[in-house]
Amino acid sequence: MKLFHKIRRTGIVTEPLSVDGADDVVLAREIDARARSLFGRALAIREVDAGSCNGCEVEIAGLSGPVYDMERFGLHFVASPRHADMLLVTGPVTRNMAVPLRMTYDATPDPKLVVAVGDCARTCGVFAGSYAVVGPVDSIIPVDVTVGGCPPEPTQILHGILAAIGRFERGGARRA
Amino acid sequence: MLGAFALGAVAALVLPLGAFVRRTALVFAAIGSACALALSVSVLRAGATWTGRWDNLLQPLGGVSLRLDSLGAFFLLIIGFTGLPASLFAIGYLKQIDRHMRSRATHTLFNVFLASMCMVTCADNGGTFLFAWEVMAVASYLLVISDPEQRDAPTAGLWYAVMTHAGFLALLAGFIILAQGGSWEFPALHSASTLLAPRARGAVFVLMAAAFGSKAGLVPLHVWLPRAHPAAPSHVSALMSAAMVNLGVYGLVRLVFDLLPPGPPWWGGLLLGIGVITALTGVLYCVAETHLKRVLAYSTVENLGLVFIGLGFALLMRGYGYGPLASMGLVAALLHTLNHAAFKCLLFLAAGSVVHRTRNVSMEMFGGLIKRMPATAMLSLVGTLALAGLPPLNGFPSEWLTFQVLVAGAQRTAPALAILLPLALAGVALVAGLAALSGVRLFGITFLALPRSTGAQHAQESTWMMVLAMAIPAVACVVLGVAPASVIPQLSRIASDLGQPTGPLSAGLALSVPLVASRMWAAMIAAVAVSAGVAAALVVRISGRDRPVRVGAAWNCGRIIQSARSEYTAAAFAEPLKRVFTGFYRPMQEVTIDVHPTSRYFVRSIRLRADLAPWMDEVVYGPLVRATRGVSDRMRQLHSGSIHFYLALLPGALLLLFVISRWIR
Repeated sequence: MKLFHKIRRTGIVTEPLSVDGADDVVLAREIDARARSLFGRALAIREVDAGSCNGCEVEIAGLSGPVYDMERFGLHFVASPRHADMLLVTGPVTRNMAVPLRMTYDATPDPKLVVAVGDCARTCGVFAGSYAVVGPVDSIIPVDVTVGGCPPEPTQILHGILAAIGRFERGGARRA
Repeated sequence: MLGAFALGAVAALVLPLGAFVRRTALVFAAIGSACALALSVSVLRAGATWTGRWDNLLQPLGGVSLRLDSLGAFFLLIIGFTGLPASLFAIGYLKQIDRHMRSRATHTLFNVFLASMCMVTCADNGGTFLFAWEVMAVASYLLVISDPEQRDAPTAGLWYAVMTHAGFLALLAGFIILAQGGSWEFPALHSASTLLAPRARGAVFVLMAAAFGSKAGLVPLHVWLPRAHPAAPSHVSALMSAAMVNLGVYGLVRLVFDLLPPGPPWWGGLLLGIGVITALTGVLYCVAETHLKRVLAYSTVENLGLVFIGLGFALLMRGYGYGPLASMGLVAALLHTLNHAAFKCLLFLAAGSVVHRTRNVSMEMFGGLIKRMPATAMLSLVGTLALAGLPPLNGFPSEWLTFQVLVAGAQRTAPALAILLPLALAGVALVAGLAALSGVRLFGITFLALPRSTGAQHAQESTWMMVLAMAIPAVACVVLGVAPASVIPQLSRIASDLGQPTGPLSAGLALSVPLVASRMWAAMIAAVAVSAGVAAALVVRISGRDRPVRVGAAWNCGRIIQSARSEYTAAAFAEPLKRVFTGFYRPMQEVTIDVHPTSRYFVRSIRLRADLAPWMDEVVYGPLVRATRGVSDRMRQLHSGSIHFYLALLPGALLLLFVISRWIR
């Protein structure tokens, strides 16, 4: 009873996407349509934190949060690289994560896409030169698309994903 | 049959020590078991009974009188069927004690144990029955304590001896009340029992149900089972768990369906209630326990609980006058007895071979054995699936039948039934679910993943003889699972031989219970399962024919070092259940943290010890044990060492006996 009372009193707390948020919906619909025509199903994404400060993770989590809710457009985050079409890698690759990242890449079934998200994933960002860092993501595994920004906004990440799908359509996807 | 066992026993005593004595004695045991099997099959087939009588043997007990009817033959079949693989298994299993004197004792006792069990099933008078029962108890007790490497064997043996002898006393008392007519022959007891007052009949029922229940491991008389089974050598545990405990079922069926006239419904209600409690207790401990053989022992408790649910149901229905339902309950109970015997024999032998090869008893020390002992693992998988009650193996049909007859009974109009049977149904459903969980745990922790100890790492496959011995019950598990309907006519005949109306169970290709309009075609389930598997394999093979195949390591979440330390343990697997049933398990935890002397923030080691409080033993037997201790301490004060005092006690005791006998007159 208390639960229903709470539900009634609280009402809806999520806000609608901003005016330019309509772009995101258009973008997401396009990803959805193209992923479906490519794979015949939703796009399965595995997120790999290779040493990130978690800023990018917050933005990625935003994608599946109540505001963007990209799951409704068939962007599906999965729990194992075995189920994934795409790896979303964040952070400068630390020494501890270099081998696991490589293993994750190997474990992902072909054909696969890799999107490096954030400045750190692209150039190691502020962590460049640290003793704990091996290098950017493309020094460990082949990267299809890089998304800049510290951290990149969800919209930018969506653009990156779309670009990766575009590369794949043009036959650019790698086979390990 | 008995001759072969006798030859085996004698051979074990007289032949020179060595491999030869082991082979001879155990081959004779196997031959004896095979004879028992043949005899029982011929009796079951022909429907005739086999009788034998030797008045001058065991004269003070009224002579030896044997008669094998279909009920006895059914249990003899179980004994022969489990005795055969157990004997064959022991030929390979007992190799390392060839040089010890105790190998003689072990082999002799093994033969005596088998012979006495066979004799119990065909005893036809009280004297023979009690004699065979006692020989069986003593032989199994000695076998339990026969392994000097088992530290806790003497304690386990003591529990077993006390329980079984208390049971024997209750049995004796029951027979004395029953034999008011003077004769101890079973037919005479049968006719005399109709003259007994209802209250005396009730007393006989309670006494004997307690006696047979202590053998069958009914809660709270089950305490010896989880102690004695791990201590005994594995082939003996297999026999005890798959054959001996069933004789408790035999005794009770013989008593209530043959010797006593139909009793009031509360007999059945009592058995049904205790059966549900037993099954639940057994399965809950079976899920939580980590000692491999103790897990199996608790599983025995659980399954005997299910058998007693069937029996209690049959008695309840007979008490209310629903004859056909009563015979269905009896058939369900007998079917489950047979099925349980098959898979438990298999599992105990498999446990024996695992324990033998890894030199460990705890499930936490196993793992990865499927690679090292593939044949044992595959056979265990059959047994475990049967234990979990999954089709198409034999645990499923009998649990299904028990369930169905309970449903059929719950639709009767008597209010007591409408309350009791749905509760029992809920209990059986919970038991079936938890049994599946324990099956997953049993097989997964023992055979899968990485080895957790050096013993498991260097384990080797058992010898072919042991594998062959395990294969025999495994085949039976599959056959009984695929074609359970084939044994139903025999079981129905047993019920009708006991004067029950023929049950409406039809047994064509499908097993069907007409009263609830439900049917189960076990062979169909098996066929569908197998063909679905084959079809899936073919689809994958054909559709993937042109695609490249990439072979990689199994995905381990990117871990660089994969060790057995990161595996799920048997205790961890049961942890959620322990939380749910905290009130039942009353888990104890002991955490020891060793810190560095300079600062308590540097932890050197953390040790966690988790255990289950055996509160049931404490509640039921604690006061009893303390009282016995107290009385014996008092009695010790009499031991003054003065011979005059002892002599004075003798006439005193005599006088007391006179007074008592006078008073009884």
